[in-house]
Amino acid sequence: MNNAIEFDPEIRQIEQEIVEFFAEKASEYTGRHPIVSMVMSYFYIRRSLTQRDLRKLTGFSAGAISKAVRQLVDMNVITREVIPGTHTHIYKMETLPFRSPKYFLQTEQTLEKLHKELKEIKDKLDVHGGKMRNLEGYQKVYDIVKHLLVQISSVPRFMDLIEEELGKFIK
Amino acid sequence: MKSSKKALSEERLKVTERKLVDVIANFGYLKGRSAKTSEVMAYIYIRQEVTQQLLRELTGYSLGTVSAVLQDLEKLGVVNKHSSQNARGYVYRLAGTPSQVMSQSMADFQGYLSEISGFLDEVEAKLSKSSLSKKQGYSQLRRFLDEMNVLIPAYQQVLQKFQTMRLDSRQTRVGAANE
Repeated sequence: MNNAIEFDPEIRQIEQEIVEFFAEKASEYTGRHPIVSMVMSYFYIRRSLTQRDLRKLTGFSAGAISKAVRQLVDMNVITREVIPGTHTHIYKMETLPFRSPKYFLQTEQTLEKLHKELKEIKDKLDVHGGKMRNLEGYQKVYDIVKHLLVQISSVPRFMDLIEEELGKFIK
Repeated sequence: MKSSKKALSEERLKVTERKLVDVIANFGYLKGRSAKTSEVMAYIYIRQEVTQQLLRELTGYSLGTVSAVLQDLEKLGVVNKHSSQNARGYVYRLAGTPSQVMSQSMADFQGYLSEISGFLDEVEAKLSKSSLSKKQGYSQLRRFLDEMNVLIPAYQQVLQKFQTMRLDSRQTRVGAANE
């Protein structure tokens, strides 16, 4: 498979414009790493790619591509499979990630883990806080933990509402 | 003796803060940010005011790295740079309270959606040349555009609805407080 060559030059030009747009804008608005955004954008269009394909399409080094796909797998945006009969991995995006933000953000697992970790920190601060309470910085750490615990408790409901509303538009 | 107890408490607080930074930074990583940006951002959320030197000590990154990350965060609207009264250089402050910074990102998202929408119209115009429809790669671009043409307006509608809901609940709270 050689995706970079398969596309007609005029189409390839439009594709590059799309990818560059998302690489720039996603970084500007969300702080996402430009290389991660660019690789992600190629998946929006191509849907399944190897690391070799991505190197050819983007011109980035093997190390940069490997790091970016690993992060996208961790983000639940793409999956990794072995091409049968080879040792090569193929990465796939089954559906555009924003089609289901709940799936994309792995809401339940991620938030459960986050809640547990924050709760542990809060308990530690409550139980062993005694001596620390007078230290500069204690209150800031404590306030952020409390703030995040409140914030994340409202996220699942918010996500459900988004999914429900999106469902009305997306058949 | 007293000072060693204090040192122990300080160490304990530092370890706790470090743990909190890791938790917040991991969340940033899952949003696609770089590990370095996520870590610096986590410290700024907690401390709310930092200097490049302090971030260098806390993270172990070089001043060049810290400076580049801070520039990105300034562009992102997360921090504001101010001249320091006590030290040389600048202090970087979180651009509002943590809640304000978080709700700002929702407002920004609307701007992002409208930029995407405008850009996709341009792409649509380029792709509409009849000579392209038989070309290799056309169907992949077409599929992407078709999906985005449904998703972007859907998100715009949903966000608008949430903004109205938030406004309504705020007005209700103000009304209740007045009564």
